[in-house]
Amino acid sequence: MTTAIAGRARTAEERSGTHGTAHRPRRSWAPYLFISPFYLLYVLFMLVPVAVSLWLSLTEWVGLGTPHWVGLRNYRLLATDISFHRALGNTAVFVLVAVCVVVPLALLIAQALNTRGLRARDLWRTAYFVPIVVSPILVALIFGLLFDRQFGLVNSVLRALFGTGGVDWLGDPSLAKVSIALVMVWRWTGYLTVFFLAGLQAVPRELYEAAAIDGAGRLRTFTTVTLPALKPVTAFVVVTSFIGAAQIFEEPYLLTGGGPAESTLSVTMFIYRAAFQRQQFGYAAAAAVVLFVLVFGLSQLFNRLLGIGRATS
Amino acid sequence: MTRTRVPLYGALVLLLLAFFAPLLWALSGSFKPRGDIFGYPPRLFPDPFTLDNYQRLFSEQPFWRWFLMSTVVALVATAVSVFVCALAGYGFAKFRFTGKRLLFGVMFSSLSIPFAVILVPLFVILVKTGLGSPWFALIVPWVAPAFGIFMMQQYIVQSIPDSVLEAARIDGASEFGIFRTIVLPLLRPSLGALAVWQFLQSYNSFLWPLVLVSDSSQYTLPLGLQTLFVSEQRQYDLVLAGAVLAVVPAVALFVVLRKQLLEGLSTGAVKG
Repeated sequence: MTTAIAGRARTAEERSGTHGTAHRPRRSWAPYLFISPFYLLYVLFMLVPVAVSLWLSLTEWVGLGTPHWVGLRNYRLLATDISFHRALGNTAVFVLVAVCVVVPLALLIAQALNTRGLRARDLWRTAYFVPIVVSPILVALIFGLLFDRQFGLVNSVLRALFGTGGVDWLGDPSLAKVSIALVMVWRWTGYLTVFFLAGLQAVPRELYEAAAIDGAGRLRTFTTVTLPALKPVTAFVVVTSFIGAAQIFEEPYLLTGGGPAESTLSVTMFIYRAAFQRQQFGYAAAAAVVLFVLVFGLSQLFNRLLGIGRATS
Repeated sequence: MTRTRVPLYGALVLLLLAFFAPLLWALSGSFKPRGDIFGYPPRLFPDPFTLDNYQRLFSEQPFWRWFLMSTVVALVATAVSVFVCALAGYGFAKFRFTGKRLLFGVMFSSLSIPFAVILVPLFVILVKTGLGSPWFALIVPWVAPAFGIFMMQQYIVQSIPDSVLEAARIDGASEFGIFRTIVLPLLRPSLGALAVWQFLQSYNSFLWPLVLVSDSSQYTLPLGLQTLFVSEQRQYDLVLAGAVLAVVPAVALFVVLRKQLLEGLSTGAVKG
């Protein structure tokens, strides 16, 4: 969304510049009034909480009474907390699944849906999008029942086909990660497809015709025409799925409870557990600050590298 | 359809099955007696067919209260956020002002703050200031989505010509009057798209209500269903029925307004 916004917004800016709509001193308060509700809410419910998080992370607090100042102790504890390391590692795996499996798959599907003369394009696009509007409770329930070791449909099918089907999808540490990854693929692919498809449809036909005249094959057309044209959309999709996967919570919480042996514990689950199950608010805040630094820092880096977010420069 | 298209359509149908089979399985399971839900091979059409799961859900659980709670909260959150986004989107689309670039960057960067970062402090702030009442606090995380502002800004830049606004100014209309009588009506399709999306976000939300709501009389739908899901008896027959009922309005809403939503979501990504 964003990079392309950049291109578009800039031209609009130039246009309004030449026509001189907004350059009216007597109206200069108006834009600030229009954007002020957002910034009021932003400060109250985003900026203040981030600041409070920073402060809480330097305290020890059980949620009652006065927080007790402990300096950087929470961070030192995090540095040696094996559970936190697992949570970071697992979350990194989920991020990799999102960026390296879900994103390419979405691009592939979008490419198929962009085939010239495809029938019922709206039907496919709509149907593939549905999983993202389904309540995570139903998603967890469905996959929990499908992956059930004894009675689950997946194992029943395996048993019928291969005679063996005692696979412990949710009970084995590595398989549990695979199961969560499968759910992520199921839930997110169709959503991301929509962005790629929109990007593909915006590529001028002439470019493809020119490539065809030059005798470029399918693969060559894809790498020389499609991919460069898709760069802004890809950048947006990669950053979005990175941020989404970095805060994954519902899938592991409802499906595996973070287990077995914390093999699916995510950072968000770690924060939730520390604050709301163990009343370690300071410790949870410190973990949140680490998450903030990682996600915010990396997305700013991506944005810089990929040229996103300069919408109204 | 040429012959070479067969593999393509075959693949698309397989994908459709992969995305839909689990949902159909759940739908069909909600009409099966508990013992049949795990039956193999799975039957698409329940036999025997029963409404027992639904009847027990309604008689044993306050399903409609959960549903009402979720719906009302989502509607309020949607109304507030759509208004906030339309205002700010208009401000960014049609005005030049000092600090615009910085303010835009600040707004943009809020997209990369994970909710988990503000989860604990937001909870603490709202509870400590006495604003922790679910009716107020449940809507808070959804009232100011930066992505909605982009959507609005894009749409306004593309579809509302400066000349219209200029003419109204010459006629002496106030700035807010222009927004209300000219911009908002022209924005309608885009507002609809954003509204659907925001509604679904709030309606399906789980983590924030989980943290915030402790009184079972104020449970939202996902929370209520979750208590059945994790209870000792693992009442998955009831959860299936409830989850199907919860999902049907969401999917219906999406299907009806899919054109606006899908185009609205990808607006910026595309016609750039």
